[in-house]
Amino acid sequence: MRRSDLGEFEELVLLAVAAMAPKAYSVLIAEELEKETGYPVSTGAVHAALQRLEQKGYLSSYLGEATQERGGRRKRLFTITTFGGKTLNEVRMLRNNLWDRIEPDTLAKIGLHFS
Amino acid sequence: MKYNNPLPPKWLDNIAARICAPHLREELIGDLNERFALRSERFGRQKALRFYLREVTSLLRPSIMKRKPSQYASTPFFNVEMIRNYFKIGTRVLRKNKGYSSIHLTGLAIGLWACMMVATVVIDSLSYDRQWTRGNDIYRIVSVDKKADGLEERMSSSNAALAPELQKLYGEVESWSEFSTTERHFKLNEKDTDGMKTEVLRMDTAAWKMLNTQVLAGSPKRFTPGTNNIIVSKSFAEKFYPGQDLVGKIIYDMPAYSAKPNTYLVTGLIKDLPYNSHLRADVIWVRQNKPETFSPEGFATFSQNYIMLRRGTDVKNFTSKVNKWHQNLSKSYASKTVVFQPMKDIYLHSDFALNQHVRGDAQTIYIFSGVAALLLFIACVNFVNLSTARAFARLKEAGVRRILSGSRGQLVLQFLTETLILFGASVVVATFFYYFTLQSVENFLGHRLVQTFITNPEMAFYASLMIILTAIFTGIYPAWLISGFKPANTLRGTITATFGQNSLRKSLVVVQFSISIVVLLATIVVWKQLNLMKNKDLGYDKRHLLSIDFISWDGKASAFKNALLENPAVVSASITHWLPGQGGGFMTREIPDPAGGKGRVKVWYIAGDLDLPKTMGLKLADGRLFSSQLSSDAINADSLQKADFMKFEEAAMLQPSILTRSAAKKLGIKHLNERIKEANTVPIGIIKDFHNESLYEPVKPTLIVAHRSPEYGGMLIRVVPGTEKQVTNTLHQLWKQFFPSKLLEIGNIEDTLNKQYEAENRMHQLFLFFSGLTMFLSALGIFGLVVQAAEQRAKEVGIRKVLGASVAGIIALLSKDFLRLVTIAILLASPLAWFSLSKWLEHYPYRTNIDWWIFAVTGLGALTITLLTISFQAVRAALADPVKALRNE
Repeated sequence: MRRSDLGEFEELVLLAVAAMAPKAYSVLIAEELEKETGYPVSTGAVHAALQRLEQKGYLSSYLGEATQERGGRRKRLFTITTFGGKTLNEVRMLRNNLWDRIEPDTLAKIGLHFS
Repeated sequence: MKYNNPLPPKWLDNIAARICAPHLREELIGDLNERFALRSERFGRQKALRFYLREVTSLLRPSIMKRKPSQYASTPFFNVEMIRNYFKIGTRVLRKNKGYSSIHLTGLAIGLWACMMVATVVIDSLSYDRQWTRGNDIYRIVSVDKKADGLEERMSSSNAALAPELQKLYGEVESWSEFSTTERHFKLNEKDTDGMKTEVLRMDTAAWKMLNTQVLAGSPKRFTPGTNNIIVSKSFAEKFYPGQDLVGKIIYDMPAYSAKPNTYLVTGLIKDLPYNSHLRADVIWVRQNKPETFSPEGFATFSQNYIMLRRGTDVKNFTSKVNKWHQNLSKSYASKTVVFQPMKDIYLHSDFALNQHVRGDAQTIYIFSGVAALLLFIACVNFVNLSTARAFARLKEAGVRRILSGSRGQLVLQFLTETLILFGASVVVATFFYYFTLQSVENFLGHRLVQTFITNPEMAFYASLMIILTAIFTGIYPAWLISGFKPANTLRGTITATFGQNSLRKSLVVVQFSISIVVLLATIVVWKQLNLMKNKDLGYDKRHLLSIDFISWDGKASAFKNALLENPAVVSASITHWLPGQGGGFMTREIPDPAGGKGRVKVWYIAGDLDLPKTMGLKLADGRLFSSQLSSDAINADSLQKADFMKFEEAAMLQPSILTRSAAKKLGIKHLNERIKEANTVPIGIIKDFHNESLYEPVKPTLIVAHRSPEYGGMLIRVVPGTEKQVTNTLHQLWKQFFPSKLLEIGNIEDTLNKQYEAENRMHQLFLFFSGLTMFLSALGIFGLVVQAAEQRAKEVGIRKVLGASVAGIIALLSKDFLRLVTIAILLASPLAWFSLSKWLEHYPYRTNIDWWIFAVTGLGALTITLLTISFQAVRAALADPVKALRNE
């Protein structure tokens, strides 16, 4: 199963790229994740995840323009590939299916319910 | 805000860049910087910095650190093809710059050769007495006497009964024996008139347990009583009695004291004793251990004694234990201690042991290993200096190589290969010289070298290892320097302008010259000291004086003397109990101070027949010399002593004597011909002071007394200048008539005395040699640098010339820097040399002055040599056609 090689953090990063398209790059993603999770997210970790995702074919990248804050360095911009989109979709479907199969009683018991 | 961007500290950025793989650097560092900017806007700089640090550490992950493999096929670092190429290019470069290569080669070869030689001597000296299996447990008993004036008198001999007493008292002592070396002239037949000079080791039977020897024939360990037992070494047996079995035979010696030759029974044949031992000998003379009873009072015989302690004994503890016992033995022992000198220290640390023939001098060894190390250092400095100077000529090459994708490692390897080739060639040259000079060095030292790089492969292996390490160490700096420049800069030629003003090179030159100036100063001072000792007026005429070594005259002394005096070439002759070079006198006495002062005075006695003062040529200051007319002037010491000791004492009480001035002063003599009670003598004459001993010792207050017809003694013969050979012949002839089977050893007093200063003589010669070498090497180095400077400044010189500079001006321009460096070196070296040489001279009671002119001469000499070396090249540069220099490019 190919889905198993998509780790949790990777999935988040992949989602973030999709959400921020077409301007997604590591700093933005890290900041976003930091904001969402409330924990500091290091650039290195994000970068490593992006690299892996690109290697797996879920992302494609190109070098963007240089900015002042970066000391005149260019940034690498990421976009999600169709294959990446498909995979995300598959993951989501899988989750949804499982969610759907939970009985309402059980949901209530564990303190979860859809409002 | 936009234009005033907060940036993280540079060094952190650098670390981050180091961690990152190069292909990720741009985006990653950019990201980090951007986030830093964001954060410092949000939380302030302080917090942002902390975040940044965390960011940098979080870069430490494989996916970021992993370098992208090069897209070109990489050549492995140690590739056979590449190495072959290094060698090819290396040899080509060296062959192209013949001048440079030969300067390098000469310098390095000399440095390496000197180092190898000195290393050989040092290693050989250190190898002495390391081969005995129990060597670590054997100690020589050294007697130490603390004098009132704080000086220590050390003697290698000890009371013969002390060692057995120690064995009795202390369980730690396993065994003991006397060990001493003497000389015997052995002959096969009793009637032979000539014997073979042989070194003999005297030891006790117990010594078989202490020294390991390999018995080839006979049973030497079984003692045959009633005769002298000797054990001969293989090489001695082969020389003495070729092809025959000596074991069980009786051989004879040439006696000095007895009328008839002594007999020796050969009880065994052993493998040669190790040459590198202070107990070096061809024949062992064994005696039975016969412990005398030890008593602290009364007469005692002194000999060189050794003890062997049980394995693992703490010597320090043992020594203090023994001394506690020893000092309480008697009142007179309070100042006397014993020291146990380890066997392996004896060769190098025995300057007090005058009877030990085989000994080295640790200090000389230290001095010369130091000088050799400095020499090698100078050679290596030359190498570094010249290579870095040379570097700029090769910057373009290095640049092109790097552009053509040569890595820095490869460049370093390329330059290192050149260094290694040069070192290799120098090693070959040095080894060649080493091989051929070994013999002359052995001659110079006066003994064989057992451990050499040729006979000992292990040593050779370590030496080559050392040399390779030195080569790498020397080569790495220039190689690193040359390969480190950016190719873009080197190819544009922007570096050459700033290059060459290297402070490292300047200080190296200063150090180099300081060393050679110190060595040069040392050479001059040692020479002056040697000269002083050789030429100082001794108070008597040491020239044209022959001597015969001590023998027993068998009552034929006067007859022999008279027969000798018939030869017109003999001016005068004297039978004597003391010969120059044999210490202060035949006996010493410590007598209560006659002048009434506290303490005791030590005086030395010299005895001979009536003609002794005349023969020696002593200069009379007051009173008279001995006269043959007055029968009371001499006593029949030997016959009286034999007949009745008391009578001898009585006669000696009133014995007339001649005093030296210092003795007269010490004894407070006011009137001649009045008996001095304390010294048991009646002074009849005062002579000028003379040096009985070497000039290592101050003048000794001496009394000369006369004995009639002495039984034992040597002979001093004053001859007409130039007739030494003739008189020697006469002596040989007369000897055959008088004492056909006795040992005759004729000496020349002047030679004997000069031999005392052999150490200084050797030191002087070595220093002379080394100072020449260090100067030469330093000059070589500076020559290389000047060539470089002239080349480098060719354009400058050209422009100056075009603008009208004079030749002299240009020479001054080129020489100025170097002369300044040498001047600094002189200023640095002079006080250093002055200090250490004064220290060295303190050992001598008669020392030469370190005059100011020595420094002036040395300084001027160094400057002249520098100037000559420089001007050779500077003049050429100054005379060169400026058009040539300016038109190039």
